[in-house]
Amino acid sequence: MTALLKAEGLSKQFGGLKAVDAVDLEVGEGEILGVIGPNGAGKTTLFSLLAGSVAPSAGRILLDGKPLRGPACKVVHAGVVRTHQIVRPFLNLTVFDNVAAAAQFGARRHGADARKFAADLVHLVGLGARAQEFPGTLTLSGRKRLELARALATEPRVLLLDEVIAGVDPAEAQALTRLVREVRETRKLSILMIEHVMPALMSLSDRVLVLDSGRKIAQGTPAEVAHDPRVIECYLGHKP
Amino acid sequence: MIRAALIGLALIAALAMLPLVVPLTSFTHNQLTLAFMFISAALAWNWLGGYLGQISFGHAAMFGVGGFVAARAILAGVPMVLAWLVGGLAAGLYSLAWGHPTLRLRGPYFSIATIGVGEATRFVLTWWERFTGGSSGLSLPITPGLKHTLYWYGLGLLAATGAASHLIRRSKLGLGLFAIKADVDAAGDIGINATRLQDLVLFASGTAVGVAGGFYASYFSFIEPVDLFGFDRSISFVLMAVIGGVGTIYGPALGAIVFVLLQQFLVATYPQLYLGLYGALLVLVILFEPLGLSGLALRLAHRLGYRARPDLESPA
Repeated sequence: MTALLKAEGLSKQFGGLKAVDAVDLEVGEGEILGVIGPNGAGKTTLFSLLAGSVAPSAGRILLDGKPLRGPACKVVHAGVVRTHQIVRPFLNLTVFDNVAAAAQFGARRHGADARKFAADLVHLVGLGARAQEFPGTLTLSGRKRLELARALATEPRVLLLDEVIAGVDPAEAQALTRLVREVRETRKLSILMIEHVMPALMSLSDRVLVLDSGRKIAQGTPAEVAHDPRVIECYLGHKP
Repeated sequence: MIRAALIGLALIAALAMLPLVVPLTSFTHNQLTLAFMFISAALAWNWLGGYLGQISFGHAAMFGVGGFVAARAILAGVPMVLAWLVGGLAAGLYSLAWGHPTLRLRGPYFSIATIGVGEATRFVLTWWERFTGGSSGLSLPITPGLKHTLYWYGLGLLAATGAASHLIRRSKLGLGLFAIKADVDAAGDIGINATRLQDLVLFASGTAVGVAGGFYASYFSFIEPVDLFGFDRSISFVLMAVIGGVGTIYGPALGAIVFVLLQQFLVATYPQLYLGLYGALLVLVILFEPLGLSGLALRLAHRLGYRARPDLESPA
């Protein structure tokens, strides 16, 4: 497997805190890499580093073997885009315009082509009927769908999903899981996903990476990771 | 888009014919000329303050730089309209010089920075007597009949800024500005280069306000730094936009008309009080109708059963 996105010794230090500490990772073409870890493990900071919105203290990121650096808008144009754990729709733009902005600025599409592309994505995530409404009227799962559509509208090669499934009801979680699987298949995407909803993560991921206190403590198939004593320890503590 | 262009054209044509058809008093004629200039400046302020949400309390700096550079150019023999453009360009470049570093500040922090810029500019240019004539100002040669003709030049300026307001709002640029206004980091995460877009819109806004300053210099044939660079001039642009509706396309035009009318009345009747009354008006609008007259009009239209396009009702 050739790595599409690769990080080498990636670190981020905030004052005395090593939020991300020398993490190596690789995501192959079309692969889904799950990222798990307790609260404060550095998962979201890792995403901010990969998305170019935070500059690393050390280490480097490679996309297709070429160095990838911020600012975020440049990283998006290179083909790496993130969603936000706490959704951040543009509340002053309609659902459609939220996605259209991403199509125009992220994917550099123009005019009717951009509108068609954005409209298709709005339908794909199931928000077709709400396209002309403002995101403030959407439920949490609706906003998560919008967040996903907006990221997809930038035509990424690597999608960074930060808890896109957590916090919605079980039926909706299943629907979102199916949606993520579908976009991976149809769009040949590589996906990194942070998720606390274990059934979703375990069924979607090809491999799982476990972070604790900023360090990578385990990596492997979902089954391997689930039985790794270090992983069990970091979630549940020592066996007496 | 086409409908808006037709309505705009019809309106401009009607205003262009007005003095030829209706016998206007010279006072009304000149009031209209001045109103065109203020409307243009208010619309241009709104590109930055309304579309992008970066409230500038320092636009008098660009108005003044445009005015004085244009005046100097006219004195050096440059034709009037070209001199305005030179003034505008100087103002636009000046706005980039302070705006590029300060636009990374957001909200109140940016506003405070613009107050500093405005006051510093006023101070420096008041003391730079060789360029601005200091507190005794600059006089331009008086051309007979110019003031009357400026009506149509002012209308041209209004047509240009009105069209630009519409185009910016409805274009990709407008979408990007609204996204930055809502969440600058999330905008970056979908590929919007906030620095570039903000610089671009500030340059456009500064240039247009600078051209308005040049027009002002020609209109009065006399300008002085305290008048052009004064803090109350900066406030007046904010007021026009707020009264009319910050962030709406044409609200600031309404606001500017109200402002010019009020100004005449208030300065004549309560010369000591008028700034205080503006302050009170500002507080009332922000408390009760944040979208100003546009918000009021929209509410009335709703009452009468008219449904506007949803994007016109977007929260500012």
